[in-house]
Amino acid sequence: MLSRLVRLPSTWISFGIILFIVLLGFFGPLLAPHDPLAGGGTLLAPPTFAHPFGTDYLGRDVFSRILAGAPVSVLSALEVAGIALVAGAIPGLLSVYLGRAFEWLTLRLVDTLIALPFLVFAVAMTALLGNGISQAMLSVGILLAPMFYRVARASAMSVIASQYVESAVLSGSSTAWVLRRHVWPKVVAPIGIALANAAGAGLVIVASLTFLGIGVQPPAPTWGGMLASDLGYLDYQPYAPLFPIVLIVLTVWALNLAADVLRDVSGESGRILLKRRALRRAKKRAVRRPVPIPRES
Amino acid sequence: MTTDTEFLGAQRARTLPSSTRSVSKSVAALHFKRIGLIVLRPVAMFVPVFLFGTLITFLLGALTGLSPAYVQLGDAATPAAVARLNHQWGLDQPLLVRYWDWFSALLHGSLGSSWFNGVPVSELIGQRIAISLSVAGVGLVIGIVFGTLLGTIAAVKATSWIDRSITAFLSFISVMPPFTVGIILVAVFAVGFHLLPSAGYIPIEQGLGPWFSHIILPAIALSFDSTAALARQLRAGLVSAYTENYVLGATVHGLSPRRIFFGHVLRNGAGPSLALLGLHFPNLLGGAVVTETVFGLSGYGVFASQSALHGDVPAVQGVLVVSIVLVVAFNLIVNVALNRIVPSATRGV
Repeated sequence: MLSRLVRLPSTWISFGIILFIVLLGFFGPLLAPHDPLAGGGTLLAPPTFAHPFGTDYLGRDVFSRILAGAPVSVLSALEVAGIALVAGAIPGLLSVYLGRAFEWLTLRLVDTLIALPFLVFAVAMTALLGNGISQAMLSVGILLAPMFYRVARASAMSVIASQYVESAVLSGSSTAWVLRRHVWPKVVAPIGIALANAAGAGLVIVASLTFLGIGVQPPAPTWGGMLASDLGYLDYQPYAPLFPIVLIVLTVWALNLAADVLRDVSGESGRILLKRRALRRAKKRAVRRPVPIPRES
Repeated sequence: MTTDTEFLGAQRARTLPSSTRSVSKSVAALHFKRIGLIVLRPVAMFVPVFLFGTLITFLLGALTGLSPAYVQLGDAATPAAVARLNHQWGLDQPLLVRYWDWFSALLHGSLGSSWFNGVPVSELIGQRIAISLSVAGVGLVIGIVFGTLLGTIAAVKATSWIDRSITAFLSFISVMPPFTVGIILVAVFAVGFHLLPSAGYIPIEQGLGPWFSHIILPAIALSFDSTAALARQLRAGLVSAYTENYVLGATVHGLSPRRIFFGHVLRNGAGPSLALLGLHFPNLLGGAVVTETVFGLSGYGVFASQSALHGDVPAVQGVLVVSIVLVVAFNLIVNVALNRIVPSATRGV
């Protein structure tokens, strides 16, 4: 699967952007040229060499605020996906093993969580639980858990029912071997797809929450919070919201692309896709370098 | 539109005049069974959702440990005053008793009163729900119209450059969160061109034009998600429906392309996308929270976030219950529509 993955240009584009954004999340605050909280410069200045993205309504450097806001905006999306993975995949796997009552209960709970208006619940949970970033991530993670519950449950059920697992068990393979050789390859791709989707959804929701001033309070820089303050000064700086918006949309797009790439490569359609590509390449090569005609001597 | 069973019944009644009574009886029985299937199955599906949803809502409020004492008394809270207020609001009772009181009041249509100002929550939500429903409703209509148009065009012109550009456009708008779209729309149409108002709301009673001009931008911002989802699913559904044998059969019978499309392909291919619309309705309601903030509308979403920040538990619970009811009601409507549109749904498949 990995060899198939590296052959697609979409892989390089999507994972490159994701890597760039994640690095921004880790090292962004260190790279900020100005103090993201210190005002005092020219108010609402257009982009200059000293302030590449201009300054905001308090004279703070927008470029530094974007860099300093990256950890909350990006890393929290990854943490949300991680929480959702743990909170969703474990009950999903257990629902196959633990009997009917547990299965019924978790299935109904998941149905309910999917039917709930997501953002309304995220807002309500975060604010009522104490309005901090960890509360926000916990509630969003729990609300995203059904994604992983479904994926884990579906893969566990398909693997358990398969004959190759039965034959492996009958021929005396250890559980560890069965898990590593048969279960893991089947599970890793769907989980990866769900992780990419969940991280994208998490990023948007965390940005929405911070836009509302929930989870992180205004003076601290976040991409969503910057959008909220930009909204009041659109008359002076109609371009200002573009910087956070481009970053948010680019990240979500890259995550969706990564999910699509994984889906294409992991399934049967991926093999067909790559075969078709290989065929097209071969044709092109054949046209470019015509078979040399042996000269008659 | 005559449904298959009605048509079948009429045909049978015509061809077998001697046994009209028994036939009409069996048709009636079939009809009742169908109505039962249409109405009861979704109800059986959504009752647990409603029960679990309200339980989660209640527990969310109850377990946070917030009380009206902190909301009303603030710093002046002495233990005695807190205990008195808790007793007054019935918060010193066991959790199960409180849940039962809350739930039975809910079934009677009462959502309790706000801890903040004592006004009944249903009244507070009632004042604001018209704004949210206008925005979400217009957004839904835009999503359905454009989603259907784009999906259909892409499917009919499948693999052409039109199809590819529509697909690219859809994948672009599907990653745009509603509030970013809203901000861009304000910057372009309200600030840039001064075409439409950037904020505020005018009730529909004061004129359709002003109402619509205040609603249209937030509705467009909200509609992107459902447009993209609907169009993609519809394209996939229609493309796969075109490969079915009944389309080949209809073509061989000499039916016109238009009739094949509307009579066979669209009715069969639209099913999954309609079901998907039911799944995306919660997003529409959720997106309203942020979109209303962008456009300065004091709808139920703004009310929800303000109440949650105040710690006004009954108000938040009320909003959540109303949104659950809206989602369940919308999904019931989608189910009924599915049963009318998709031919195979009438056979209980």
